[in-house]
Amino acid sequence: MRGSIQALGRLVGGLYLVLLYLFVMGPLLFVIATSFNPATSFPARFEGFTLSWYAAIFERPEFLAATGTSALVAALAAALAVLVAFLSAYALSRKGGAGGRGAMATLLASPLLVPQVVVSLAILQLASAFGIGTGFWGLVAAHAVYVMPFALRLILTGFARFDFAVEEASRSLGGGPLATWREVTLPLLRPSLVAGFTFCFILSFVNLPLSLFLTSPQTATLPIVMFAYIESRIDPMIAAVASLIVLAAATATLLLDRFLRVRLVD
Amino acid sequence: MPELVLSHVTRRFSGHTAVDDLSLTVRDGEFVCLLGPSGCGKTTTLRIIAGFEQADAGRLTLDGADITRLPPEKREIGVVFQSYALFPHKTVAENIGFGLKMRGRPKAETAAAVEQALALVRLDGLGERYPRALSGGQQQRVALARALAIRPRLLLMDEPLSNLDAQLREEMRVEIRRIQQSLGITAVLVTHDQSEALAMADRVAVMSKGRLQQMAPPAEIYEAPATAFVGHFIGQVNVLEGTLERADGGTGLLALPSGLRLAGEGQGLAAGQAARAMVKQERIALTRAEPDGFPNRFPCRVVERTYLGGGIAYRCEAAGASLTALLPNHPLFERFAPGDAAWLGWTAADCAIFPG
Repeated sequence: MRGSIQALGRLVGGLYLVLLYLFVMGPLLFVIATSFNPATSFPARFEGFTLSWYAAIFERPEFLAATGTSALVAALAAALAVLVAFLSAYALSRKGGAGGRGAMATLLASPLLVPQVVVSLAILQLASAFGIGTGFWGLVAAHAVYVMPFALRLILTGFARFDFAVEEASRSLGGGPLATWREVTLPLLRPSLVAGFTFCFILSFVNLPLSLFLTSPQTATLPIVMFAYIESRIDPMIAAVASLIVLAAATATLLLDRFLRVRLVD
Repeated sequence: MPELVLSHVTRRFSGHTAVDDLSLTVRDGEFVCLLGPSGCGKTTTLRIIAGFEQADAGRLTLDGADITRLPPEKREIGVVFQSYALFPHKTVAENIGFGLKMRGRPKAETAAAVEQALALVRLDGLGERYPRALSGGQQQRVALARALAIRPRLLLMDEPLSNLDAQLREEMRVEIRRIQQSLGITAVLVTHDQSEALAMADRVAVMSKGRLQQMAPPAEIYEAPATAFVGHFIGQVNVLEGTLERADGGTGLLALPSGLRLAGEGQGLAAGQAARAMVKQERIALTRAEPDGFPNRFPCRVVERTYLGGGIAYRCEAAGASLTALLPNHPLFERFAPGDAAWLGWTAADCAIFPG
């Protein structure tokens, strides 16, 4: 009796998980399937299998250039965000540090609470009010500010498992402050730093609203170019681009999980 | 040779003084235990000696040289942490060799020193393991070996045994003492466990509220406490409050509110003073017949009996005062049951009187 109730519980639980995954993954699977569909409109009935939409991407130089821009912006923004997040997390986690930690952590997470389109517009208005161009670095800065809280959360989790006594041990054994960071602190936090960087990179790479008002034709990012493309027409080439992004993000997440045992999503 | 001197060291944190005008000397080759309840300032003192905290006032010298402002990496002081603080991403050998690597010593020399340190703590052959693959006791030994591998001028240990189970703790007491003796190294160990301090130290420094209460060999700490705090803190103690009826400096007669009069010894005793008498539980004799030899002897009734294995504790009431006598669990000693009438007795020397 008890056994059958447990079996039923497992069945219901399993069904729930399948539905949940379908809800999350279903649209993605649909987009990926569409990218192989030769039909020229989108969405459309499936008519066969083709790789021509993938080939089509390479005939549109603006997509390739935008991919390069997005990668560069994402890399710089993620690096900047991880640097700020690491230093903040270090200060917030150290015992005997400054007071008001809770308030500080909330303040550092506050960029999450402001609509990104508003931030984008505000930065543009402020910059033009002062007569300065936003340009490439303005874009990088905006992305860095937005993705930083995500890195902060991951790195704070890393510090929660970090015993600060190891730094003192290193100091007492003759390691100066720099040697101690190089030999002890950074290696022990590397998993959360790498995870933070990857997560920030992905978030910046796919971000549209922050870039809306801050890009120029020279600094158009991939989501901006995709957005412009589907404003004029809709065909499965955009699904092919989206599929490639999903593939890259999934690969990065799996590699992290496999080699650094880091979970981006708990 | 290394001698550590603390002169008038003070450390304040917002709101309270953790270490208050502390002066003490650890002699060359000596093993000193800093003992006190939690919050007494012993760990802060250790951290100041290690250089992890700065003294707000006072100075420290090691080997005659002022180290008050020296950063920890320049002090040549080995530290064993309560959490061991082993580097989890380094092997046992890399942990032990870390200090020599920081000193830029040649690889061969470091390897030889690591082997030697592993042998010293009896962990030969475990150099390639990672700390997480070791038991708590083994991690403790690695922490000790790592601190010793730099051939420090001074070895500091912060509650090193508190994370070990009881049996291992007793073993490591002996082991740490053996290693300290064989190297002749000057050592300071912080503990809240008085039996640990009494068993390991050449001298025990008892601290309370940031102040040094008494620094003396274990037997003196136990048998001749210098302050009421030490008298009360060390051992299982009966405390009786009253007023000094007669006193001539070194000896006094304490009158309790219940009417009992206790003969005891102390310092600076004067008639009319309020005072406390402290009698260690095992120094009280409990007998059926009146114990004629003792100046302090009172008829009593046994109220409670607690079986402790090695001993039996009897709580007794004598004229309104409650006292506990601890008797060895041995056939030569009489057995009592609650309700029994009996006699309590102790000498004046075992009755320490402190004014106030």
